[in-house]
Amino acid sequence: MPLLFAHLMQTGFGGFYDGIAHLFLTPSDLLLVLGLALLAGQQGPQGGRLLLTLLPLSWWIGLAVGQRWGLDLTLALLSTVLFTSVGVLVALSLRLSVQVLAFTVAGSGLLFGLINGFTMPSASSGLPLDVLGVVSAVALLSVLISAQVAATRSTSFCIAVRVAGSWIAAAGLMSLGLLLKA
Amino acid sequence: MVRRVLLPLLMVAALLMPRLVSAHDLFPGFLELQATGASTYQVLWKLPLLQGQRLPIAPRFPDDCALQGAPVSRQEATALVYKAKLSCREPLEGRVISIDGLASAGTEVLLRVRPWQTEALQTLLIQPEQPEAVIPTASEADQQPGVWSYLRLGIEHILLGVDHLLLLLGLVLIVRDGWMLLKTVTAFTLANSITLSVSAVGIVQMPAAPLNAAIALSILFIGTEVVRFMRGQTSFTLRHPWVVACGFGLLHGFGYARGLAELGLPHHELLLALLLFNVGIEIGQDVFVVLVLALERAFRQLQIRWPVWVRRVPAWTIGCAGAYWTIETTVSLIKGGV
Repeated sequence: MPLLFAHLMQTGFGGFYDGIAHLFLTPSDLLLVLGLALLAGQQGPQGGRLLLTLLPLSWWIGLAVGQRWGLDLTLALLSTVLFTSVGVLVALSLRLSVQVLAFTVAGSGLLFGLINGFTMPSASSGLPLDVLGVVSAVALLSVLISAQVAATRSTSFCIAVRVAGSWIAAAGLMSLGLLLKA
Repeated sequence: MVRRVLLPLLMVAALLMPRLVSAHDLFPGFLELQATGASTYQVLWKLPLLQGQRLPIAPRFPDDCALQGAPVSRQEATALVYKAKLSCREPLEGRVISIDGLASAGTEVLLRVRPWQTEALQTLLIQPEQPEAVIPTASEADQQPGVWSYLRLGIEHILLGVDHLLLLLGLVLIVRDGWMLLKTVTAFTLANSITLSVSAVGIVQMPAAPLNAAIALSILFIGTEVVRFMRGQTSFTLRHPWVVACGFGLLHGFGYARGLAELGLPHHELLLALLLFNVGIEIGQDVFVVLVLALERAFRQLQIRWPVWVRRVPAWTIGCAGAYWTIETTVSLIKGGV
């Protein structure tokens, strides 16, 4: 059993909104979802559709596993490397094959879901509204951003997307530096 | 195959959904402390009832305080109301009071305090994550803008009000263009603002049981209109959704006012509190509408072609929830109370 549960953000609006707030107030999670949404959008509508299908699902599965077994895994290094890599891919604006994109999305979702699951004690009864909130927020953010990126083809917008990717990568590198120093 | 399996599952989910996420009422507790002397207080405690059951929360005063005599209690539609006199050795101002059980009950308590020798009422919102509050002194009560709690309560009321959100979703789904959407949302907003205001200040009152049944019926009605819209049929509602939005807005405004009535309004800041509560509701409504529109746009941009049965899910959800709540509230109405 884990000795300590990182508590979920409490908005006062109930479990569903606590779950939504959790995503927006956890920088590594937020940066990963942003990065994946930009990356999927760069691959066109097909990438966006794949992201919408796989990311919430894999996140949910990871969450369920994390909650069920309460895995005491920090995984900070791995998760930081992951969102940094996604940022680099966005900055490079690489065309990825469907298989590679699917693997990246599903793997990231599972890993981050697993970490989320550890921080959220499972509900003793009733609907796991916090889980529903996190997964809904992941789905919502993914679809809104990837759709916008996929639909906009102007050069300046594509450059802005790549710049955003480079910022995600830079944030990841800074976090990595701090982690390694600690 | 997928269709054969998923379709019944979705129908069952749509039927169960309203049971799981019941049409809400606002359930914060309410504690009022009015100083009648330097260290004596008139206490009013509204303990919310959730489906007829008392929420397990209670105020905890400092150890040197004691109730004078037995509290007088009466039952209201959704709360038990206690009145008592409290006497303390030291004044409560600047000291901490807490609410037992608040963290596990997952609700909030609105605390209203009138310190000794001031007419100013200070309003504080005590939340589960920090179930205690410091009682303001007279000078603090004169200065602090506690009435802003009503803005948050307005937002909360709409965000947790699945019934109101489903009606809005239905209205958004049946409008055909941007101009009509603007007219519809504006009509709904204006109408519910009117009834919220007149009801909150006591000009018009509507009994809870028929009101709940009418609100539930409005959701069922809009569910059937969404189905009609998807079948390519037409009706008065589909041609003039803003008219129906106006009518239903009047109805739902009474519902908002009921939530506000449970809390009460500070008399000296009545208009401001009412305005803030209303603004909070409108913020919540507009955020929801913008989100639905953004999602619809994103699905189009991603060229997602949903199967017909998936496109029907929102209509089923609205219709099933409306039907369930209509039956539930009508039964309550017939039985003679909610």
